Amino acid sequence: MTVSLTKKLQLYRKQLHEQNARTAQKSDHDSGCSENREQVQNKEIQRAAAALGASIRHFDDQFVLVHTEFLPLSMKIGPYTLNDLKPIVDMWQSDFSDHPLSARGLHADDLLFFDTETTGLGSGTGQMIFLIGWARVTCNGLELKQYFLPGPGHEAAFYDAFLNDCGSLKNLVTFNGKAFDWPRVKTRHQFVRDQVPKLPAFGHFDLLHASRRLWKKRLESVRLQTIETEILSMKRPVDVPGKMAPFLYFQFLKHPDAQLVKGIIEHNRKDVLTLISLYIHLSNKILGKIECDPEEHYEIARWSDQLGNHAKARQLWETLINGKSLYQSPAKVRLAELCKREGNYVYSLNLFRSVIRECGDQDGSLCIEAAKLLEHRFKDYEKAIHYTQKAIDRLHKSQGSDETIAKTEAMYAKRLNRLDQKQFEKFS
Amino acid sequence: MIGRQSVSDLLNQLKSDPNIVHWQTIPKREARYAPFPQSLDERLKDALVRRGIQSLYTHQAEAYEAVSEGKDVVLVTPTASGKTLCYNLPVLEAMIEHPEGRALYFFPTKALAQDQMNEMAELINELGLPIKSHTYDGDTAGSIRQTIRQSGQVVMTNPDMLHASILPHHTKWVSLFENLQFVIIDELHTYRGVFGSHVANVIRRLKRICHYYGSHPQFICTSATIANPREHAEALTGRRMFLIDRNGAPSVRKHFLIYNPPVTNKQLNVRENESYVVTRLATNFLKNKIQTIVFAKSRLKVELLVSHLQKLNSGRHDRATLCAYRGGYLPLERRRIERGLRSGDIMGVVSTNALELGVDIGQLQVCILTGYPGNMASVWQQAGRAGRRQDDAVIIMVTSSNPLDQYMADHADYFFSRKPEDVRINPDNIMILMEHIKCSAYELPFKRGELFGGEAVDELCDYLTDEDVLHFQREKWYWMSDGFPANNVSLRSAAQDSFAIVDITDQGHAKVIGEMDRFGAMTMLYEDAIYIHQGTQYHVDDLDLEERKAYVRKVNVNYYTDSDLAVQLDVLAMDKHADFDNDKLEKGYGDVSVRALPTIFKKIRFETYENIGWGKIHLPELEMHTNAAWISFDPALLDLYGKDVFQGALVGLSHLLRHAAPLFVMCDQSDLSVIPKIKAPHNEKPTVFLYDKYPGGIGLSEKLYQEMPKLLDKASEMVENCACESGCPSCIGFVNEGKAAKLTLRRLLRER
Repeated sequence: MTVSLTKKLQLYRKQLHEQNARTAQKSDHDSGCSENREQVQNKEIQRAAAALGASIRHFDDQFVLVHTEFLPLSMKIGPYTLNDLKPIVDMWQSDFSDHPLSARGLHADDLLFFDTETTGLGSGTGQMIFLIGWARVTCNGLELKQYFLPGPGHEAAFYDAFLNDCGSLKNLVTFNGKAFDWPRVKTRHQFVRDQVPKLPAFGHFDLLHASRRLWKKRLESVRLQTIETEILSMKRPVDVPGKMAPFLYFQFLKHPDAQLVKGIIEHNRKDVLTLISLYIHLSNKILGKIECDPEEHYEIARWSDQLGNHAKARQLWETLINGKSLYQSPAKVRLAELCKREGNYVYSLNLFRSVIRECGDQDGSLCIEAAKLLEHRFKDYEKAIHYTQKAIDRLHKSQGSDETIAKTEAMYAKRLNRLDQKQFEKFS
Repeated sequence: MIGRQSVSDLLNQLKSDPNIVHWQTIPKREARYAPFPQSLDERLKDALVRRGIQSLYTHQAEAYEAVSEGKDVVLVTPTASGKTLCYNLPVLEAMIEHPEGRALYFFPTKALAQDQMNEMAELINELGLPIKSHTYDGDTAGSIRQTIRQSGQVVMTNPDMLHASILPHHTKWVSLFENLQFVIIDELHTYRGVFGSHVANVIRRLKRICHYYGSHPQFICTSATIANPREHAEALTGRRMFLIDRNGAPSVRKHFLIYNPPVTNKQLNVRENESYVVTRLATNFLKNKIQTIVFAKSRLKVELLVSHLQKLNSGRHDRATLCAYRGGYLPLERRRIERGLRSGDIMGVVSTNALELGVDIGQLQVCILTGYPGNMASVWQQAGRAGRRQDDAVIIMVTSSNPLDQYMADHADYFFSRKPEDVRINPDNIMILMEHIKCSAYELPFKRGELFGGEAVDELCDYLTDEDVLHFQREKWYWMSDGFPANNVSLRSAAQDSFAIVDITDQGHAKVIGEMDRFGAMTMLYEDAIYIHQGTQYHVDDLDLEERKAYVRKVNVNYYTDSDLAVQLDVLAMDKHADFDNDKLEKGYGDVSVRALPTIFKKIRFETYENIGWGKIHLPELEMHTNAAWISFDPALLDLYGKDVFQGALVGLSHLLRHAAPLFVMCDQSDLSVIPKIKAPHNEKPTVFLYDKYPGGIGLSEKLYQEMPKLLDKASEMVENCACESGCPSCIGFVNEGKAAKLTLRRLLRER
């Protein structure tokens, strides 16, 4: 007696459409679907493959489009050529710092530059990777391969081809691959895990992290394309923005026309190549092989310091201190902190004093640092009192919410009282 | 303290109270025990003995056996009957034997999951085995989530979490889904209406994913007493269920009193406010240090009652600790109250139905219900909170003025013999189903011909393909959109676009005081309406349709507003149809389109009901497709009684039916609308429509169609029951030509 689903669907079509409008993207209605539409589509895909210069690899009854090219190592990518990669890897061999980007113990051909395009930014099981691109140095030049998923029903072919070709995944070079690309590879692999090779052990050189360290302040957003133009001075004449990729791919699924996805494939190819250039560039900066501006110097030093490479940090900060730049004083502060940790109190105090003298110490915090050293290390309470008072003066002139100023002042006052007490005891 | 009175003293005093309209004594019941099952692991037996459990109740043993035999089980248990062991025992036994097995528990609230985790942890602790059990919800720390996903053996969560987090990321839960042996659904009766219809679909999705990973979990469900536990469990899980409803737990003797407050306004037949009565009664018990729980229907009422009750402490040295308990409290606060109640440090608690659920507060001596809670399941759940140790328990239900309460007060025999209501869900509601088809396709592609909830969904998938949400390839439909469909579905909101009611009386501190569905908002929250919320009058300053907000301001005026709504009700498809009562009446059921256009509103003076002004409402028309049941009368009656009188009778009947409907289906009044039409467009007869207030319907009107003659019988009894002359809130409400209309309606219903 119940109304059939078909009839319900008719009755509720309007409301359902409104409901869908909340989820769905644009709507482009597809006209009719014939019985052998899939065969027609497959033919269209073959045509598209030809237009894209891709070969078709079959796997059972599925297939995948694979585009392969070998690029001469003399090819230029931004400020570098592919030939620059090997010397960089070699240089890492003599750096013993355990830096996250270090290629020590590796050969240039161990690095796999890797990028994907997906049907959406979400992390759930419903988003797919439809394009994987990777590149690696070989004796025949740079091998660059791209795998294009011709439709959601071909994932086994897609991952089988990729996993059989790529060899080791232990040294992936990506841009945000740790948080984005790789978790998605793992999710999708779950669906075809019985049909394709296992996911091998993998490791990352995530260039997003390094780029953020060095250029966060100067870039509006730390995206690969921004880095290309702002840092590597490269130009992409025409580019399909990455966020368009899902929509163009959905269009392609309905009308397999090479023109729709050509742009995305080229975008992915460029991204992979840029990764190589970016890796060389970052390594050069970190290893000190090319000129760094003071900000980069300062950030590399901070990073080294945090990684436990104090010697390198010290050396970089000293260079900054000896030059004239906006980072001269911050470098002094950092070095002072490092010296304090290492027990070099005299040098540390001198550095703090020098910064206070030269550039003011806006909120009095450096005066307090000096006061601490004077109190605990030099037992010079009188001078410590002098610096604490100075700190309170500066605090009053500083900008900040009344609440935080009051709180800080209370702390400073406490120190002052204690110092008074100590001073008193010393003389009584 | 001198002269403290005992429960029996107070009961004796109540015996002479003329407002006690009924006194039912429910005899004490002895426990029925069963020995520990043979197959139960020795270590588990020892652990139970150490926790003071020497044997099982019969229903616990029965549940254990049934689960061991591999059955899917639904268990009906009253409050405090030891239901937790019914599922924890078989689950733990299985985990001891096969540590790789997994169990997924879900509870309607996070708080319950938390409680159950603690109870489970204690038992596991006693057992001394490394069984990993943990809650997984919005409060779970990110750092342990991965561990739970990979190695949690018992995972306790809620349907919302399952829907929006676990299922759409099932590839991260492979070890759970590959080894899922049990799914435990606690408090089954809470999954009703729209929420239940959503949850049934979440379970369909869960089963699809289990199937994909090759597991076939057993379902163990527990429910409060409802009329159709097995049917409901089967509708929810799609499995054949084995019912266990013979409770072996003991209970003390109970006195169940119905208190009908005295009439204070004879003319309007208005009774003393039930809140005052409840305050008076509760104060008597609390003053004498008798632990008492008071139930009220809304959060605001709870707070109000607590503040009334606090007055009993004024001027007394020996203060009674009182508190409110309701949703919206922080977990720590709630823990503190629960502990206080168990230890006896807290003497009185006023609660919403939040304490109906299995939160462990031990048992108290007295339970007072502020009004009939709306369904029998709630009555017995709430009453079950009283019954401590050996003492007699006291339950007092204080009835309000509304027709249903008054009917119960007058028909105590009916009340006590009454079966609990049916719980209804409609998982195939096309609006709800479609959302979950999307979610499910996101999780796993649909194969052509694949069933979802027992039906092929190819057509729906085709439709979604046309809508550019799915893509069909190689005999499967794949999710092909950059969206995350679960985000667009909230399991709990009845109407997906509800309006917030914002009180801007205090400009600096605007606060949300309530929520209303779009339909309600357009008929009650139009500009310049007087909106009455929890007894306070508000003026509606602005209704923002875009932002879905109504801005209101507290006022004190001597009128209320009533909108004229041009409601167009068109029957789109009639699925069922029958004549009854010697063909005098006609009933029908089917899909309808409800179109409502608020036109004007009238300002009506409180005391005199005179019309003192009006205004225009400028709002667009609303349309909703849903299910409706209807009753049609012979058009000749119009001439017989006169149009105005007959119309009054029809409006009065609507008022009665709205209150009588919850006797047959468990629903809130806001789930159902009743609209009289003097001339229904599809059959040109005087008709009353009852429709589900959710697009696509949730099964309420379908059930009411089946119950139709009985529903009218109840309406008839209600109107006969009322002593007023020309209509009052306890029968037909206030209608035009009240006196004649009431007479007409009585005749119509009597002479069927």
